[in-house]
Amino acid sequence: MTLPGGVHAETYQQDRALIRTRWQWLWFAGFVAVLLLLPFIGIGKAVGIATVIGITLIAVLGLQLTSGCAGQINMGQSAFMGVGAYAAGALAANLHWSFLLTIPIGGISAAVFGAVFGLAALRIKGFYLALTTIAAQFIFTFAMLKLPKEWFGQSEGLRLDPAALGSFAFNTDNRIYYLVLAVAALMTYGAWGLMRSRTGRAFIAVRDNDNAAEVIGINVFYYKTLAFFIGAFYAGIAGALWAYYVRYVQADQFTLWLSVWYLGMLIVGGMGSILGAIIGAVVIRLLQELITVAGPQVADVLPALGGQFVFAAMNMLLGGLIIVFVIFEPRGLVHRWNIVKESYRIWPFPH
Amino acid sequence: MPELAAAPELAAVPAPATAPIMRADGITLRFGGVTALSDVSFEIGASEIHAIIGPNGAGKSCTLNCMNGFSLPQQGRLFFREQDITGLPPHRIARLGVGRTFQGLQLFAGLSVVDNLLTGRHMHMKTGALQGFVYRGWAHAEELRERRRVEEIIDFLEIKNIRHKLVGSLSYGLRKRVDLGRALAMDPRVLLMDEPMAGMNLEEKEDMVRFVIDIREALDIPVVIVEHDMHVVMDIADRITVLDWGHVIARGGPQAIKGDPAVIKAYLGAEVRR
Ligand SMILES: Nc1ncnc2c1ncn2[C@@H]1O[C@H](COP(=O)(O)OP(=O)(O)OP(=O)(O)O)[C@@H](O)[C@H]1O
Ligand SMILES: [Mg+2]
Repeated sequence: MTLPGGVHAETYQQDRALIRTRWQWLWFAGFVAVLLLLPFIGIGKAVGIATVIGITLIAVLGLQLTSGCAGQINMGQSAFMGVGAYAAGALAANLHWSFLLTIPIGGISAAVFGAVFGLAALRIKGFYLALTTIAAQFIFTFAMLKLPKEWFGQSEGLRLDPAALGSFAFNTDNRIYYLVLAVAALMTYGAWGLMRSRTGRAFIAVRDNDNAAEVIGINVFYYKTLAFFIGAFYAGIAGALWAYYVRYVQADQFTLWLSVWYLGMLIVGGMGSILGAIIGAVVIRLLQELITVAGPQVADVLPALGGQFVFAAMNMLLGGLIIVFVIFEPRGLVHRWNIVKESYRIWPFPH
Repeated sequence: MPELAAAPELAAVPAPATAPIMRADGITLRFGGVTALSDVSFEIGASEIHAIIGPNGAGKSCTLNCMNGFSLPQQGRLFFREQDITGLPPHRIARLGVGRTFQGLQLFAGLSVVDNLLTGRHMHMKTGALQGFVYRGWAHAEELRERRRVEEIIDFLEIKNIRHKLVGSLSYGLRKRVDLGRALAMDPRVLLMDEPMAGMNLEEKEDMVRFVIDIREALDIPVVIVEHDMHVVMDIADRITVLDWGHVIARGGPQAIKGDPAVIKAYLGAEVRR
């Protein structure tokens, strides 16, 4: 060791930093400013769309941790989200607890439900694990429709009052947007920290080579369970926010179909990367919005096709896009982005 | 060559020179009808380089698998510093201080060299999921602290210039070096190496031999090495255990093994079998 410790610590610190150059700080600051000012500059449904993207992002981040980082395939993320929505919803609707309590409890409830599937992941892998997590979907729907009506409302679902802090209620689109933005920012930061520290490396070790992970002292069983626990916790938080956003919770809001979309977002964005989860959630969500806007207009121009057909066709197109990614760019958009970034970094002096 | 200092806790607890660090007592391992090991016993002394040799399929890898808990022998017991470790899961045995490298490549392909080595520090780190989530403070401080030990190992293995590369992009020889680095990052009390030089060119082999000798010197730990290259084995081993068809057929120093008729017969027999 020739260099003094201080110099080393400084460089290691730089190694670990997420944002390194002044330009990156500028971009980041600009991005944050746009998010903060969106209610004032956004047109039309921008705020509503951004709110839904924020909620989706939290659920997709969780799925990224479970499936992309720790390699445990999960087709039940939407059911985990539903558990969070119902737990928070029931406490808010029946007992009138504050959202400061119900949202974390929603997360924990989903996490415990999810961890059960982590236990299953010890014995089964890949395709069979996927099938097992699909079962979560059916257990969830069945339970919510059959459990006592005083708890979860059965087929009628739950109706919530807006989240409130004293006399301040999150009862407008703009207000709930800021709530979702704050939580989404926190959860994104947390996911980044997690993946840069011991737990994140253990996840990737379990994903890449579980034998080698055992041999260096990683308890593979524990980390598989933890991956489901944390991923479902994210889903639960997302579900609870959803409950306060639409203020109505019902079992058929959380379908297997939604879980599949979440996986699609990961594939398009890029498996195993936090930035990939963000890109995937934003891009696919915006495309879906585009379809709901453009669909009726196309149907207007070509009435012979009929609205139903146009809508179905465009969804198929989006599904096709995901398949294209699986085949041609399995590393996702984040990989493209990294290539652009690299060439930009060395820009005046390309090799 | 940069110096690799022994981990503090290792230096503090010197093992008695007489007691074996690891001991196998009559282990028998079967897979269905195949008996991979039968009644195998041996001792690994403090800070010796102990080679395990034998023809293909003799049971060398199976022996290492029993030692680090991958396989559970049907009979016999294994001891680490006189603690019975038979039946413990691999991660528990690893935490006692049994480090291991693999036959072939078993790295974490999605991580950089530094992160592979930091993963090797896993059992010496304490950051939990919640601290990782918060990151600032505790987790960050631990990252920097552990990074220092990892950098020592990177220096020692002369892989400074590739530290940020994804291991998937490295040559075979370098990957084997990272594999060794990850095991060293555990600060092991004994190091098991399964054919560390297989598939390497002469230069890479020489480097690896140098590392094995230096590890024993610098860390004062025993190294158990499975190797086919007899020149290497005769050069560096203090003691050799020879396996054939799952039986120990000879044990002793290199000179004794070289002239042992049973060993010569096993190797000649293996030639004929092939
Ligand atoms: N999981 C397993 N299932 C069945 N048989 C096995 C298994 N693992 C090893 N064996 C058998 O046990 C015997 C010893 O295998 P082992 O891998 O220990 O050999 P080796 O000495 O390491 O050989 P090599 O030099 O080729 O690596 C072989 O006959 C092998 O076929
Ligand atoms: Mg072998």
